[in-house]
Amino acid sequence: MAAPWRSIRLEPEPFEPLQALAAWHAALATALGALPAAESHFIGRVRPSSASGEPLAALELEHYPGMTEAQLQALAQAAAAQHGATAVLVHHRVGRVLPGEPIVLVAVAADRRGPALRCGQELLEALKHEVPFWKREWLADGRSSWVTGNTPL
Amino acid sequence: MLQPLPTAAEPTQQVRVRLFASLRDAMGWSEQLVRLETATATPLALWHQLGLGPEHQGPDEPPTEVRVAINQQFAAWDAPLQAGDELAFLPPISGG
Repeated sequence: MAAPWRSIRLEPEPFEPLQALAAWHAALATALGALPAAESHFIGRVRPSSASGEPLAALELEHYPGMTEAQLQALAQAAAAQHGATAVLVHHRVGRVLPGEPIVLVAVAADRRGPALRCGQELLEALKHEVPFWKREWLADGRSSWVTGNTPL
Repeated sequence: MLQPLPTAAEPTQQVRVRLFASLRDAMGWSEQLVRLETATATPLALWHQLGLGPEHQGPDEPPTEVRVAINQQFAAWDAPLQAGDELAFLPPISGG
């Protein structure tokens, strides 16, 4: 089987997931001749409240430049290979992200719905735990705190 | 935010130590060059040498919440360090 097609990108500015998917479709169609039969998408947005339930002004995404991109590439490669996916896309925000803004987009194209859905979920969970991102919650009064874990599945 | 060098070590005997997020804020520095004092230095040894752990923590106990990366790859607390390595201490990750 051919190596999975990977589109990994860190987004320092707000991005529009549907535009990113449209560009990905165009690139995939050109590369593959036709789009695979099954596709899964996940869009994550910043919720409007902090972990302690207070209104959130913004989320700050710090990361480890270099290691972040390498880990995303490695995890996407491993998940796609394990599930036999044809193509994987991960776009992830860094910097200051406002409530309601997209923070992560994961998309998987495969020949069947099972691999597409399972690969997408596995990759999303992996990137939450195995890629050096750190979230800091900023409140309206200027207080901030580092998030110490992930929300439940 | 480069800190002054703690020693005038030759570059070939140093490792670059990096801190991120809550760990950086707690310690007040993000990066420094550290001279390798022994030929068998490990991340755990440098963690204690730099005073990064709580005082009640024994020298053989790695912190459970913090992970280590050497040259931008996850590594073990007892992995051998080489001169020129980049060593990072990573507080709990929260991506996605």
